[in-house]
Amino acid sequence: MKDRKTTHFGYREVPVEEKASRVAEVFHSVASRYDLMNDLMSGGVHRLWKRFTIELSGARPGQTILDIAGGTGDLTARFSRIVGAEGQVVLADINESMLKVGRDRLLDRGIAGNVVPVQADAQYLPFPDNTFDCITIAFGLRNVTDKDLALRSMLRVLKPGGRLLVLEFSKPQSKLLEKVYDQYSFRLLPTMGRLIAGDAESYRYLAESIRMHPDQEALLGMMREAGFVDCEYHNMTGGIVALHKGLKP
Amino acid sequence: MDPTLRAGFEAALETAVNTALKYDPGTRVRLAELSGEVLALELSAPRLNLFLCIEDEWVAVRHQWEGQVTTELRGSATAFLRLLRDTGVTPASLGVTVIGSSTFLAELQEILHDLDIDWEEPLAQLIGDVPAHTLGEALRSAGHWLRGQLQVAPGAAAEAVSEEWRLTPPKAQFDAFAEDLSELAMATERLEARVQLLREKFAHRGAE
Repeated sequence: MKDRKTTHFGYREVPVEEKASRVAEVFHSVASRYDLMNDLMSGGVHRLWKRFTIELSGARPGQTILDIAGGTGDLTARFSRIVGAEGQVVLADINESMLKVGRDRLLDRGIAGNVVPVQADAQYLPFPDNTFDCITIAFGLRNVTDKDLALRSMLRVLKPGGRLLVLEFSKPQSKLLEKVYDQYSFRLLPTMGRLIAGDAESYRYLAESIRMHPDQEALLGMMREAGFVDCEYHNMTGGIVALHKGLKP
Repeated sequence: MDPTLRAGFEAALETAVNTALKYDPGTRVRLAELSGEVLALELSAPRLNLFLCIEDEWVAVRHQWEGQVTTELRGSATAFLRLLRDTGVTPASLGVTVIGSSTFLAELQEILHDLDIDWEEPLAQLIGDVPAHTLGEALRSAGHWLRGQLQVAPGAAAEAVSEEWRLTPPKAQFDAFAEDLSELAMATERLEARVQLLREKFAHRGAE
């Protein structure tokens, strides 16, 4: 019998072709309460992580920016103000429910005109080569089936000199913090998910997927391997989250 | 410093500034005219770099900015506060270095000087119009009294120190003493010049 190629979905191994649909199920399930849960899970700190990402983006008026896995549009909203009427922000997400929530939320806040929502797979970005000045992917890369393929796709659509910013959960830098964080992720997080979003399993997957995601150095190596240069990362909140940056040569 | 803490500080500062602006529509309109301008602050005490970017009617506080900077200021935090609040002072008098447009700085000084925040509005939303107005009036009266007291305080303190407690001499006495001292200094200089002249004369005669 021929072996089927597998990949991880949290701590479980699933056939490669199944991961995207399983991740989609998770996000369909949490989309409507995603923001509320993010605030509760991180104590609102995710806003500060995103704020630092915006700063490091170096975004300026008139630029074209791609916000991959943009979800409910936090980064897009901020970028929209910075790039102004002459610029453009593409809010991309593979998940229809998340994109719908994000688009509606932006419209409710009066953010329109320079924002284009696009349902897109990060591995096969539907844009011409050398399109964007900056690409961000916040808390999205760990859900992508083939991360190397996605990084190469991002490199292709970036303009030369353009930058990629990957904001993602990573490895805490202290053993004590790691223990506390483990307790929080595997005990408190699913309980909160069950009480607030009525879905403990999805939040258990979120915690597991964070542990399976490459750590700071591994992701740095993957970015270099994909062809990015001047790669670096910044640990935030003791390494619970890291922001990786790379430039297209 | 962990970027999370720095981002938290900047977010708090930005929220404070923009919350104040929310209740001063006049200032927001004037700020909107400066949209796109960036003020860079390089503080020496405490050591901190900040960029204040004007985006429409609001102010964004950033740690990094790669675009063009309109005006850059270098100096201490207290000097910056005085400079931005007081239109009568010059940057040089406060030890502040200005790089770039001084016009933008002057415009910001004018705007901050005219800042008139209507604190009654958010208060009215919480406790109602009449209590908010009554409380506002009481706070304004207290503010006027405090400002008046602060204005006379330095004079009153100086008077108490010299007249009541006799810790320092009265001003007239000090002025007379300073005048005497000045005359003594001049007389000493004149005497020194004469002695020098005599020395030169004696030296000249000795040589003959």
